[in-house]
Amino acid sequence: MKGCIFNIDAGYLEGLCRGFKCGILKQSDYLNLVQCETLEDLKLHLQGTDYGTFLANEPSPLSVSTIDDKLREKLVIEFQHLRNHSVEPLSTFLDFITYSYMIDNIILLITGTLHQRPISELIPKCHPLGSFEQMEAIHVAATPAELYNAVLVDTPLAPFFVDCISEQDLDEMNIEIIRNTLYKAYLEAFYDFCKQIGGTTADVMCEILAFEADRRAIIITINSFGTELSKDDRAKLYPRCGKLNPDGLAALARADDYEQVKAVAEYYAEYSALFEGAGNNVGDKTLEDKFFEHEVSLNVHAFLQQFHFGVFYSYLKLKEQECRNIVWISECVAQKHRTKIDNYIPIF
Amino acid sequence: MGSLFRSEEMTLCQLFLQSEAAYACVSELGELGLVQFRDLNPDVNAFQRKFVNEVRRCDEMERKLRYLEKEIRRDGIPMLEIPGECPEAPQPREMIDLEATFEKLENELREVNQNAEALKRNFLELTELKHILRKTQVFFDEHEGGANTTESMTRALISDDPNRHIGHVQLGFVAGVILRERIPAFERMLWRACRGNVFLRQAEIDTPLEDPSSSDQVFKSVFIIFFQGDQLKTRVKKICEGFRATLYPCPEAPADRREMAMGVMTRIEDLNTVLGQTQDHRHRVLVAAAKNIKNWFVKVRKIKAIYHTLNLFNLDVTQKCLIAECWVPALDLETIQLALRRGTERSGSSVPPILNRMETLEDPPTYNRTNKFTFAFQNLIYAYGVATYREVNPAPYTIITFPFLFAVMFGDLGHGALMAAFGFWMCYKEKPLQAKKIDSEIWTIFFGGRYIILLMGLFSMYTGLIYNDIFSKSLNIFGSAWRNNYNQSTLESNKMLQLNPDSDAYTQTPYPFGIDPVWQLAEANKIIFMNAYKMKISIIIGVFHMLFGVCLSLWNHLYFKRRISIYVEFIPQILFLVLLFFYMVLLMFIKWTSYGPNAAHLGSDDPEIVKTSAYCAPSILITFINMMLFKTDPNTRPQCNDNMYAGQIGLQKFFVIVALMCVPVMLFGKPYFIMKEQKERARQGHQTIEGAAENGAAGGAALPPPQHHDEDITEVFIHQAIHTIEYVLGSISHTASYLRLWALSLAHAQLAEVAWNMLLRKGLMSRDFEGGIFLYVVFAGWAAISVSILVLMEGLSAFLHTLRLHWVEFQSKFYSGEGYLFQPFSFEVILDSAGQGEE
Repeated sequence: MKGCIFNIDAGYLEGLCRGFKCGILKQSDYLNLVQCETLEDLKLHLQGTDYGTFLANEPSPLSVSTIDDKLREKLVIEFQHLRNHSVEPLSTFLDFITYSYMIDNIILLITGTLHQRPISELIPKCHPLGSFEQMEAIHVAATPAELYNAVLVDTPLAPFFVDCISEQDLDEMNIEIIRNTLYKAYLEAFYDFCKQIGGTTADVMCEILAFEADRRAIIITINSFGTELSKDDRAKLYPRCGKLNPDGLAALARADDYEQVKAVAEYYAEYSALFEGAGNNVGDKTLEDKFFEHEVSLNVHAFLQQFHFGVFYSYLKLKEQECRNIVWISECVAQKHRTKIDNYIPIF
Repeated sequence: MGSLFRSEEMTLCQLFLQSEAAYACVSELGELGLVQFRDLNPDVNAFQRKFVNEVRRCDEMERKLRYLEKEIRRDGIPMLEIPGECPEAPQPREMIDLEATFEKLENELREVNQNAEALKRNFLELTELKHILRKTQVFFDEHEGGANTTESMTRALISDDPNRHIGHVQLGFVAGVILRERIPAFERMLWRACRGNVFLRQAEIDTPLEDPSSSDQVFKSVFIIFFQGDQLKTRVKKICEGFRATLYPCPEAPADRREMAMGVMTRIEDLNTVLGQTQDHRHRVLVAAAKNIKNWFVKVRKIKAIYHTLNLFNLDVTQKCLIAECWVPALDLETIQLALRRGTERSGSSVPPILNRMETLEDPPTYNRTNKFTFAFQNLIYAYGVATYREVNPAPYTIITFPFLFAVMFGDLGHGALMAAFGFWMCYKEKPLQAKKIDSEIWTIFFGGRYIILLMGLFSMYTGLIYNDIFSKSLNIFGSAWRNNYNQSTLESNKMLQLNPDSDAYTQTPYPFGIDPVWQLAEANKIIFMNAYKMKISIIIGVFHMLFGVCLSLWNHLYFKRRISIYVEFIPQILFLVLLFFYMVLLMFIKWTSYGPNAAHLGSDDPEIVKTSAYCAPSILITFINMMLFKTDPNTRPQCNDNMYAGQIGLQKFFVIVALMCVPVMLFGKPYFIMKEQKERARQGHQTIEGAAENGAAGGAALPPPQHHDEDITEVFIHQAIHTIEYVLGSISHTASYLRLWALSLAHAQLAEVAWNMLLRKGLMSRDFEGGIFLYVVFAGWAAISVSILVLMEGLSAFLHTLRLHWVEFQSKFYSGEGYLFQPFSFEVILDSAGQGEE
């Protein structure tokens, strides 16, 4: 029934999004890109794809950072276009997507000010999708409570932040904790929101978000080894909307080293496969890359179904992966470091 | 001329160009626009081709030009159109000059812009400061004069302070300027971060200020914040920084402020002169560039196009010459040779280029030469599908049939005249309108089809005269052939009376041209009469149109030498159509000529004469249905004959049987012959291979194996079955489909009548002075409806139906449309598309 009326509000945007999706680079494009000798070649090849003339007005010589900026700019324009034409509940859904960028921006700014960097230097590094009005005044705050009261209370992130107020001051450890608590609250809220929308959106998005939650839990655990984070504190940071919840998370909370994490993942077919192929040796893919690959495949699957919001999320994520790929390749090309140029993650 | 009926004959040519001469030759060919180059290295990446560096340099030049153009547009300087001739593609060595010129211009402009921006920033700061000084004056005045309010507020704010001073508290303050839309968030943030211990006053700056980096006009506000203590000061400053507010020093003493304001004013004036000079300089640079920029664009685009084309070529082993393959219209070989020679001369190369014709099995592209008149009609055909190479081109016939079929549906003298006038205006003002380059998509469509519109309008006027319809009224030009033969009392006592053609009400000579205007008065049976007439006309036109289509297929078969197709496709097809549907058309004519009033009928009861009266006319539809069902209905009217002519039943049976026998011929004929041919070939193939083996053993020179591509016989069967079913069922449904001519014509006439009766008639009926005003208003409504609905919308719908009749009913009889378009390398096309892309 939902499918019947879906197109009234979101049909145009879904069509648009699927159209955008067709512009995502194919394997053959990547094969051409990795053959490039210089960034100029890269530009010339990208001109033949959906990116068109996005670099046409940039004076030579090109730098990787301009390419990165332009790629991001194009993506942001597309996303903003979708957002501006959307109505409820899609607009809230799209807003939810931007919250994760907001969290990243906040953490970036706080960390930056902690290291006494001027705010004007930090602002350009923020992701434009996550910018909000009060963002630049963030360095007024010295404690999480102040941060909440002065800056974040007006932003949509306020409800996520409530759990973090207790922290005493902003040192690096606490920032990490804040980031993860925020993310946990955000993921759980997003998960609930998708559940509440129901239908295909819930089917698709819950799958993706559950994976996202589990990935965070695993990464937090692995990164916490050798730090002063206590196991109890660590357990508090796990997002509780994934497939690992509750048994897997409990087991993760007890883990002491990488092997034990791997042992936990063994119980879950999809994650054990990821751990299987991962390794730190030369030529092996890192666990992170494995996770990215899995995320890409989940996002590609989202396009197999119709009449749901997941395509917007997936499109953004896939496009981000593509930007990472292009930047990686251009980085390799620019530094003449071609041995690892094939480490991009193909999408189609 | 031949290319109007068929597409141009094309040959594949191989072109050997000296490396030095290649550029000039390609440039000449680009001016000519008659050659389509083939990509000889499709596997090579864009960035691995030979002339990629040149292309890249052109890209860079284009970028600089775009930058210049953007700046020129920003200053609103008119760019000169290219006077007269388009510049030729410059020599490769000129490229360096161009590059240097653009580089110099760009650098100069960037420098000027930087200066201007710095000056503007300075200017902005000073203006902001000026505003601050002016606005804060008000705040301070309040502070001094109406000390009570501020005083009491500051007191209240710091009343919790334990080290509270009695009397005047020294408050610190900062003043600055902020974007107006950020004020609410800014205020809230200040309140939250400082826990309400600051006091903010703000005033709007009325005039918008120019943002120097983007040169947008922005609205800003002056604010002043009072606070106490250093901690709050740093905090307030941080917030100001965060909200991108610019802070300015503002002296506390009124005298200082006044002095500062004076200083600021003088500095602003100084700055204004400097800024004016910078702007002048910038303007001069841009005006100079604007004179040439279009010219430069053309040059750079031409160079780029040439190098793009050169990238399609193959290098020969010695690197001395480039090899190209291209499709060329066979008739233009001379012109191309000439252009190549010109190119060689221009480049000063001694070796002439070589143009070789090549044998190929590939399908050549379809190229129909058009002029501005046939262009639109050709495009209507291409919209369905590009003709297969050298197949019959329906475009020349469409020139007449399209407007005619349209007019049958749109028949109204008034509406047709409006349309023709519009079309005529567009054709008459063609040149100025073309030069205007209006960008609206709808306009482009209308303008592109101006000749179609003109013809459609003229034909509609003609059919309008035939239907005797002008805005749903009739014209009585020649005087009606009917007169009233009732006396006064009968007329007064009856609401409706019938005029009998068999009486003296009819003068026995029909109205000379079109429908008799008397029908306008026949309220009861006008529609019945018009329907019968228009329905029959539609079918007659339709059958002739389809017959013509089938005949064109004969031309195709003859041209492609498909003898079998003539016997097993064309002949049964035409028989089927003629024996069934053309026969029906004949019946209509027989009915028209042999039944009806004539002088002998006047009051006659002679049974022989009655047999040819309208009373005895049979229904064509029933007759036709009975013919198909082999049924004979006795005439229900005893005085009349059963048949229209002697031997009708027998002839009809014969026709139907022959027509039905055509179906299996169409179905199995072609596959049978193909099968037979394949068997024959297989046998011969064996023989040749054996023969070749013997030859090879003997002489060593083996013959190439004969080209034969055996199609799967089941596929042939299925294809033929589909084709046959489509044709047989199609001829029934297509004939019926032509009834849309009648339906749309009826709808148009009725709609026009409604518009007249509901609007204009009401206006015409009202009397007196008010009536005049009412008519004035009503006429506007009627005119608007006539133009928007009756001409525009009805016109569009009739247009679409005509298009369908041509694409489906007509072209399905002969047109396969599986070709691909000839796209020559032409500067004109490239420049046009580049020009459009940029707008």
